Amino acid sequence: MSLNKNTPGKIIIALKKYGIVFAIATLLVTVLLVSGFGCKSDAKPAAEESGAIAETGTLAFVANGEDFVREGMSSKESWNISFDHAYITLADIKAYQTDPPYDTGQGWDFEYKEMVELAGKFTVDLASPDADPAPVRQADNVPAGHYNAISWTMARADSGPSEGYALLIVGTGEKDGEIINFSLGFEQEVAYLGGDYIGDVRKGILNPGGSAEIEMTFHFDHLFGTDEEDADDPMNLDALGFAPLAEIAAGDSVEVSMSSLSKLLDPGVFGLIEKILLHFGHVGEGHCLAKYIN
Amino acid sequence: MLSNYRQGWHFLIAAGLIIATIVIVLIIPAGDLAAHGVILEYTQNSSVEITARYDYGEPMSGAQVAVFAPGSPSEPWLTGTCDDSGKFSFVPDTQIPGLWEVQVRQAGHGDIIRIQISEGSAGPSGAGGFTTAQKIIMAAAVIWGLVGTALFFTRRRA
Repeated sequence: MSLNKNTPGKIIIALKKYGIVFAIATLLVTVLLVSGFGCKSDAKPAAEESGAIAETGTLAFVANGEDFVREGMSSKESWNISFDHAYITLADIKAYQTDPPYDTGQGWDFEYKEMVELAGKFTVDLASPDADPAPVRQADNVPAGHYNAISWTMARADSGPSEGYALLIVGTGEKDGEIINFSLGFEQEVAYLGGDYIGDVRKGILNPGGSAEIEMTFHFDHLFGTDEEDADDPMNLDALGFAPLAEIAAGDSVEVSMSSLSKLLDPGVFGLIEKILLHFGHVGEGHCLAKYIN
Repeated sequence: MLSNYRQGWHFLIAAGLIIATIVIVLIIPAGDLAAHGVILEYTQNSSVEITARYDYGEPMSGAQVAVFAPGSPSEPWLTGTCDDSGKFSFVPDTQIPGLWEVQVRQAGHGDIIRIQISEGSAGPSGAGGFTTAQKIIMAAAVIWGLVGTALFFTRRRA
């Protein structure tokens, strides 16, 4: 087509005649650009970019009840609770390197590249001042990499001071001069599965020749609530608190287990405990999947 | 009469396509990630915008945010806090392509969301994660479409 002084006029006439076609065609091109070209990443995950790491290091498994249980806490009803012991027994402990990183939204089935397993049961006292965090067991010569998932079971102890209990909490509650000594035992076994550690530092990142921690964290504020939050805070609404224990105390003490609480507490209150155990285990501040077993 | 009716529908269709295109370009829901307790979502535009809320709906206003670039999982590339509506925005360095991690935590609750960033996908002056050439082509296409539509409706009836 030769260009002459009438060419612009012809273009305008063509546009007037077929303008709607041009509009739709150009918009389709735009949509294609948006959806298909250049937006999707073909970059490999960081772990792939760095290549397979064949070297090894030391992975330390730890358990943490946080300051709440080491230093004491104030329940949602402002009972000041101090803890003599918080024995927890852990079993079936496994740490995983997952790629893509595991997320609890995936459920219980997931794939992993590396897995480190601790055989046996381990009972630790989360209330010990030295349990910051409490060492469980160290695994040497394990593949280096990012351990970004962990699973474990809170299991009944076979022996020792908490025999028969997966979790045994012993301490004292005090409010307005009233002192209640308590022993609260949980027989129920619970399986937990969590993803990457959430906290002020990253954990589970094991460099070749180095060492790293991977943590199982337990939130006692989910059990007793805390007056650091509003009374109508969802966590406090779902927490047992300490008042129900004080109400069933005989004199200045109460020694109960989960099975006895099922008879002593209102079913609605006992129902809180059943839910709390499913929200008790964390990885740092990251929530876990949880289910009752046995 | 019938012709005017058709022209009106053509206009509505064209206008709808334009608006839809603009919406697609500006608001690309890039995925979500949910866990019990905390829900993190993000949109990727000229920057990455994180929205953090508790699973009962309340925004995580003032929550601590740490952004980790690929290859440096231990040292935050950026730290900050969510605003009152639980939002936090940042512009990733597209020279560090890969899986970026954003950790959001507050009062004992937190989670990590992971965002795939490809080279040149969301630069400081980027829009929707496109290259400069793509942006020019898209802008020209939208203008061209608008001009074509306008001229179509201003044509003289035969």
